Amino acid sequence: MDETSLIQSAQKGDLDAFNTLILHYQDTVFNTAVRILGDEDLAQDAAQEAFISAFRSISTFRGGSFKAWLMRTVTNACYDELRRQKRRPTTPLEPETSDGEEMDSPKWLADPNMTPAEKSEADELEHAIQHCLDALPTDFRTVVVLADIQGMDYTEVAVASKVPLGTIKSRLARARLRLRECLRGFEELLPASFRLEGESTL
Amino acid sequence: MKKFHDIELLSSYLDGQLNTAESKRLETRLASDPELASALNDIRATRSILRKLPARKAPRNFTLTRKMVGLRPPLPRTYPIFRFSTAFATILLMLTFAANSIVPRIAFGGAAAPAPAMGYGGGPGMGGGGGGNDTAMQAAATEAPAATEAPLEAPSAEMIPAPTTDGTLREGGPAADSMQAPKEANPESALQNQPPIQNEAVIPITWQIILLAVILLSGLAMWLIQKSASRRWQ
Repeated sequence: MDETSLIQSAQKGDLDAFNTLILHYQDTVFNTAVRILGDEDLAQDAAQEAFISAFRSISTFRGGSFKAWLMRTVTNACYDELRRQKRRPTTPLEPETSDGEEMDSPKWLADPNMTPAEKSEADELEHAIQHCLDALPTDFRTVVVLADIQGMDYTEVAVASKVPLGTIKSRLARARLRLRECLRGFEELLPASFRLEGESTL
Repeated sequence: MKKFHDIELLSSYLDGQLNTAESKRLETRLASDPELASALNDIRATRSILRKLPARKAPRNFTLTRKMVGLRPPLPRTYPIFRFSTAFATILLMLTFAANSIVPRIAFGGAAAPAPAMGYGGGPGMGGGGGGNDTAMQAAATEAPAATEAPLEAPSAEMIPAPTTDGTLREGGPAADSMQAPKEANPESALQNQPPIQNEAVIPITWQIILLAVILLSGLAMWLIQKSASRRWQ
């Protein structure tokens, strides 16, 4: 069954068809949420909320990119979660040691298929990138996550974030500029092939 | 430091968002401006780092259950009939209660209103008026002498045209006293001695029981249908 048929069935209330779509998109949705929110538990909540919301409003989908439409519900769910966090701040993002200090390579960023050395480097790099993403304003972060991490084109990003194409271009450029500045502080962690030039011209 | 407009152009250029003319203009500039070319490399490197970021896999399935989305099982066509009958019977039952409690009050109010008028205007010995409840009048008359110490025979002056005479009647004679007494005693005693208004239900209780039975049976049928439908749905 192709995506269009599944969407049509879901629009008629077929939950099984929608669940098939969920299984196809859940990694993308969760990955987007975790990069926007910077927290796995919050991302799970946001992803679940996004799917529930998407099922309830799937009748409003009028064609086009289903991924972009789904990403819109995810970003909305993430914004809701961020607003909730702002109202009721809870535990910090970074896990802490028993001494109350932030862990450099938290286990929650680990990938089980790597050697300890690779894992350590990857953890630190990923942690550094996430740290820089978290430092961006939410609107910029959303655009850069959708465009550069999820690989969506500008039109899809515009649909997902409900802003005009020109704004997407501007926000993406600013986000990349800020990330570049932030990542310069973690240059020793960057792979040699992607190492940024020492003297930036930006 | 490049202008932000240049950075935006470079960013869009990397993503293939410039048209042919804009791209060519920028490429010409890039060939002659090493600083601009370096900025392009920086943006490209930043984008590459982000694209190499490992994708997080969902730690669990986010598939939805019917309960999560509030879906209800499809109900048979008979269900709305029971729902309607329950609602209709409930409304009717409420109306019967309302009718049984409101209608007697209206009837009571209509019957009680003339009573004081009778007491004041139609007492024994007053000559005119009259009519209405004779027993009430008599009772009032018998009570009155006790209060005024007038002989029981005093009302025998019933032939006296009291209402048409002047105040002399009022001032002298036991008849005048006895006439005043009923004025005070009559309203109360007339009310007390009125035959009790029958508080009969306008709608017989049998109908109320029938309606109640309809409500209960329809409600039970609805509950059974819902339960059966959800069992079959699961």
